[in-house]
Amino acid sequence: MTDIERGYSGLEPQPYAPVTGNLADLLERVLDKGIVIAGDIKIDLLDIELLTIRLRLFIASVDTAKKAGIDWWETDPALSTRAARDALAEENARLRARLDDLEGAADETVEAVR
Amino acid sequence: MSLHPAVPPAAAADEVGSPTVVCAFAVTRTPPPDHALVSATGHEEGGPLRVLRAGNLCLIVQDVPAALFDSAALTERLNRPDDLERCARAHHRGVEAVFRAGPVVPLPMASLYRDDHSAARAVTAREAALAALLDRLGGRTEWAVKVHAVEADAPADDSNGTGTGTGTGTGGRAYLSRASARRRARQDAHGKALAEAEAVDAELRRHAVAATRHRPQSEQLTGRRTPQLLNAAYLVDDTERPAFAAALERVGADGRHTTVEIHVSGPWIPYSFARLEDGS
Repeated sequence: MTDIERGYSGLEPQPYAPVTGNLADLLERVLDKGIVIAGDIKIDLLDIELLTIRLRLFIASVDTAKKAGIDWWETDPALSTRAARDALAEENARLRARLDDLEGAADETVEAVR
Repeated sequence: MSLHPAVPPAAAADEVGSPTVVCAFAVTRTPPPDHALVSATGHEEGGPLRVLRAGNLCLIVQDVPAALFDSAALTERLNRPDDLERCARAHHRGVEAVFRAGPVVPLPMASLYRDDHSAARAVTAREAALAALLDRLGGRTEWAVKVHAVEADAPADDSNGTGTGTGTGTGGRAYLSRASARRRARQDAHGKALAEAEAVDAELRRHAVAATRHRPQSEQLTGRRTPQLLNAAYLVDDTERPAFAAALERVGADGRHTTVEIHVSGPWIPYSFARLEDGS
């Protein structure tokens, strides 16, 4: 009945400790309001629980997507700056294609007039 | 000891002179050796971790780009799930790097200062309290324990069984009495589970230096159908760890507490106990 997960494991370098399952625990701790010393820069965060729920839904959907071989989070501009660049490049390509079409159509019109 | 280069190397690599702010991870008396700090990565966007002397204590800090860590940018970033996760893990990595070298007072994520002077002053202004806290947290780790009510096997649902003729007058009364019986049963079960959660807490506290509670997480967050009854953190002395583990075994043993499920994670760096008692 008792599950034990390790928050960090001894002295092993473990850059992603604790494991994903503990993310809510981690946020609860690193975002806790029981502040020892306050910084100069104030951040206006949503309610921690709300943030954590969002995060949990985000992780759940990434996991599900990964299993299904989908990588929408890498192509959603809201979630990745690379995707934002890709979106721009894509729009650029689309506009160029449309320009080519229009130029082609213009040429045809010119030829038809001749 | 001055470990502060004129220009942080990582920042120098891409944008010389771009304004930075100081991000603090933890207070310690035993700063990690240079090679350990160099190999530790804090926030990906910032320079290497470094030691900032503050009176008799040390603050482990990192220079991070002001453009990404000012109030508006950070608020926007941290309200996005993926950035929030990256930032939380980066902070934890930084604190962990310091913890490996000795006791720490971990600071909350995104403790940001305009410059070294301001960061050091925040520590020296509370030096005695922070030193006492370091002593208190040294040689101790935190354990997170969550207790949930077990999922009812079958919700005593007899609405289709015994109750025939729910449309008639007597059937309606019978329905109401069944409904209130179910409600009573649910309340009884909840009361029993709560009492068991309190018993678990009492037993674990006996082997802890201190205990504190976080707000129970909602079902939306836990993804469970039953409520979280206890979301506790225990500060456990390293010498008491076997006894605490044995207590966990006992409270989790089959048949001991039948109405609750217990989940434990740890050992954690004692984040939940890194606060000053008098709130100064």
